[in-house]
Amino acid sequence: MPRILTIWLPRWPVQRRLLERPELRRVPVFVCRRERRGVMKVVSWAWATPPRAPHRVGLPAGNAATARIHAGRIHEGMSLAEGMAVLAAAHGSRACQVAEVDYDDPVADRAALEELARSCRRFAPIVALEQPPAGEASRPECLHVDVTGTADFFGGEGPLVRTAVWTLAVRGVHARAAIADTPAAAWAAAHHTDSLSADPSSAHLPMRGARHRRWALVPPGGQLRLLGPLPAAALGLDADVLAQLEGVGVGTIGGIARLPRKSLASRFDPQLSRQLSLFTGERPEPLAVPCSTELPTATHPFDVPLSLRDTTADDLAVILERLVEACLGPLAAAGKGVTALQVRLDRGQAIGLGEPSAPLVIDVGMFQPTSCVKHVVELVQLRMARLRLPREIVGITVDVVSAGQADCRQRTLFGEPAEASAAQVTMLLDRLSGRLGRRAVFEPLPLADAQPEHAWAAVPPMRATKRRAMPVPAPSSVRRRRGPQQHDGGVPAIAAAPQRRPLWMLPQPVRLESVVVAAAAEPCPTEQASAVVRPPAGFRLEGRMRDVVKAHGPERIETAWWRGPTVRRDYYVVETSDGGRYWIFRRLGGSAGGSRRAGAERPAAQDGGAWFLHGMFS
Amino acid sequence: MVTHGPAGLPAANLLSGQLFGWDAAVRRGWERGRETVSTGFRPLDRLLPAGGVRLGSLVEWLAADDASGAIALACAVACRLAGSRGTGDEAAAPAATILIVDRGGRFYPPAVLPWLDGGGNGVGSGGGRPRFVVARPSTDDDEIWAIDQALRCPGVAAVLAWPGRVHPTAMRRWQLAARAGGAVGLLVRGRLVRGMDGHAMSSGRRPEWRCEPAHAKPTHDVPMHAEPTWAEARVAVHPLAAAAAAGEPSAGPSVRRLRLSLAGGPWAGEAMLEERATELFLDMATGREAAGRRRAAAVTDAGRLREWGLREGLECRAS
Repeated sequence: MPRILTIWLPRWPVQRRLLERPELRRVPVFVCRRERRGVMKVVSWAWATPPRAPHRVGLPAGNAATARIHAGRIHEGMSLAEGMAVLAAAHGSRACQVAEVDYDDPVADRAALEELARSCRRFAPIVALEQPPAGEASRPECLHVDVTGTADFFGGEGPLVRTAVWTLAVRGVHARAAIADTPAAAWAAAHHTDSLSADPSSAHLPMRGARHRRWALVPPGGQLRLLGPLPAAALGLDADVLAQLEGVGVGTIGGIARLPRKSLASRFDPQLSRQLSLFTGERPEPLAVPCSTELPTATHPFDVPLSLRDTTADDLAVILERLVEACLGPLAAAGKGVTALQVRLDRGQAIGLGEPSAPLVIDVGMFQPTSCVKHVVELVQLRMARLRLPREIVGITVDVVSAGQADCRQRTLFGEPAEASAAQVTMLLDRLSGRLGRRAVFEPLPLADAQPEHAWAAVPPMRATKRRAMPVPAPSSVRRRRGPQQHDGGVPAIAAAPQRRPLWMLPQPVRLESVVVAAAAEPCPTEQASAVVRPPAGFRLEGRMRDVVKAHGPERIETAWWRGPTVRRDYYVVETSDGGRYWIFRRLGGSAGGSRRAGAERPAAQDGGAWFLHGMFS
Repeated sequence: MVTHGPAGLPAANLLSGQLFGWDAAVRRGWERGRETVSTGFRPLDRLLPAGGVRLGSLVEWLAADDASGAIALACAVACRLAGSRGTGDEAAAPAATILIVDRGGRFYPPAVLPWLDGGGNGVGSGGGRPRFVVARPSTDDDEIWAIDQALRCPGVAAVLAWPGRVHPTAMRRWQLAARAGGAVGLLVRGRLVRGMDGHAMSSGRRPEWRCEPAHAKPTHDVPMHAEPTWAEARVAVHPLAAAAAAGEPSAGPSVRRLRLSLAGGPWAGEAMLEERATELFLDMATGREAAGRRRAAAVTDAGRLREWGLREGLECRAS
């Protein structure tokens, strides 16, 4: 019977940063990723040493438990602003001011975890990273160690699991560990060590008062008996499967195990029966050995420090080409290609030169796996051309960070132009993103959203093809009010009619000066009403007066309520006498806070009714 | 010491003119083997010297204003070019790519994304669906490099860019890149940069070669800076106001009326000696020629240009 030791590293993205910068233990740390339109989403957060007494006025002093409960409401996927608000409610606004916010870097997180996995070989030779379920982002936080037959070297499984936890604690890593028959059972036990007893002989049921226990042991064949009371989420199920189970009143692993196995697959998602069989060991789960142990690396040390000022780019390219070839050769033989590569230029001991001695790391990413040495070297050179290289280096290391299955096809004798051109486009996009930046090259994907800023999303070029099949979100509310000069019969209700959207949109609306509002043919009851329904007869732009000869609109667009304070605008497509076509809007009176989203606009109370230029039909 | 040519112009310009002439000779041989693709707009096809857009060439669009519709027309042409690639005989043909080099970060994709479907007319439905890829360079050097790289790529159907002031060396570089890769470069030039980059060479002076119409001043107010260009054709786009379209039924914002005129082309080409103009109606919903509005104005021959800025000393001058 195999025995698996699972080591769980809670909030690993934050822990990695705390290991690199121990001074961050005193402040709240948020790891966020930037979503489209700049919205920051919390990936992970932690405060290693929160203050005992919250600073919040009105909260009882010393009520740290209450603060912890408040701060515990910050979860993954929450926007940073919400997280800060919760933090302020728990610990006061001072905590938000000192909080450290860092961008998400899953590659660095995984690399650090793999490095930790290599160091865990002291417990057993086979160490693997957990494999997140398909569909989830690859963000492992657990290590699986196959300790079958090796526990005796540590005096048994109990001392082994304790040694594992405390060895990592000495290094500053907070870990929880458990040993069980299967990786899934050990994973569940490691995530619920608080409710389990470390000594299986002393208690078979979750112990009360066993809080903050960092390890657990599940005896051979006892996973269902010991882990049965754990919640169903401990099986690593998706939210919809958990909702299904909750609907039938099943909330624990034991409850799932008592359901008839034959009808399990037909009644629930196939994921449930698969996870249950992995948990019980009926279905074997192979361990995924960390990539770095398989992915090749190549190093070229120099006998004497090499001065890069005296070295031409071609000489450096020769060395790089040899190293990259040494890395890609084994991958190509296995039908794989590299998708991320790391080139490290090890600096020498620059004594007295004032340069840091840390190596210069050049990260190169590809949209698709490639095994073309020339292409990879070209990408590295593109990055190096824009970096300030060290004066001298003592070695170059090329490390393959990630690899993927290359697209291998039977090739014809003379090659197919279609296949070649597709590969050329992929290489072009790699080159462009290598020089311009990963975010500067994208493919626009339309979204059914009435708000112009949210009507499209920039996605990486290779992912857009897959996402085209995905259903777009339901259109948000849009109100249209037909004015007297509207001639757009047949325009669909969705605000994505292309003829109504400009080809050029200004990043910030520009306020139009000297707007001439045509006099009404018939007197309107109120001055305000006449201004609302009437587009301008002229406006000044770039120092020149433009006479509006035709206007289409208005099209009223409001921001969605869940995106903050409401901004209300009446848009018009106006044609000027010189043939120019512009997209202008009149700002309507709304909540005062809406001006923050409108950028250059002033608060609604000040310029309600002002006209702005938002785009041009270029 | 500055050497002057027969016309009293610097020798650098003289050499540049000779280079244009040599290139014209090479181009004539090269053009025979190049396929010409329709732009999807019959008036525009009739206007262009080759009867369409020649693959592996540059086309310059002179925009009268930022809101003139020149980019929209160039984008529509790019969609048709990509669509003509995607409808090849092979069903599994890769998606033709339209690379948009968006220097200022102003490009708003929802305005043109439906054009890839051709308004439901099945553009590109034979093979892979054409797609837009946007690159946003932050510097002028990056922009020149990105256009060059994209034009060299065989899988790119068209490159749409709106560069600012461009050195003729960069234009020549793009022309050679397009010739090597087979992509069509659609360069939209603004009003302010036009005429500033023609042949100022590295000195940054204003161009000394200027072509002015001898007679029959053009009816529209687009200035005719018909200096030679490395592009296959230079098309001036002038929007016509809705009020000018007297007698036309009102079509709302979905139709745009544009006046196109050939404002220059390759050096020593016959096409640039004639001022030709036409009108077309662009359907802003589908990016196609507006249905029922194809009675474009006939191509008019407004006369030949009388003289070049440099009259003597060049083999490639107008005869």
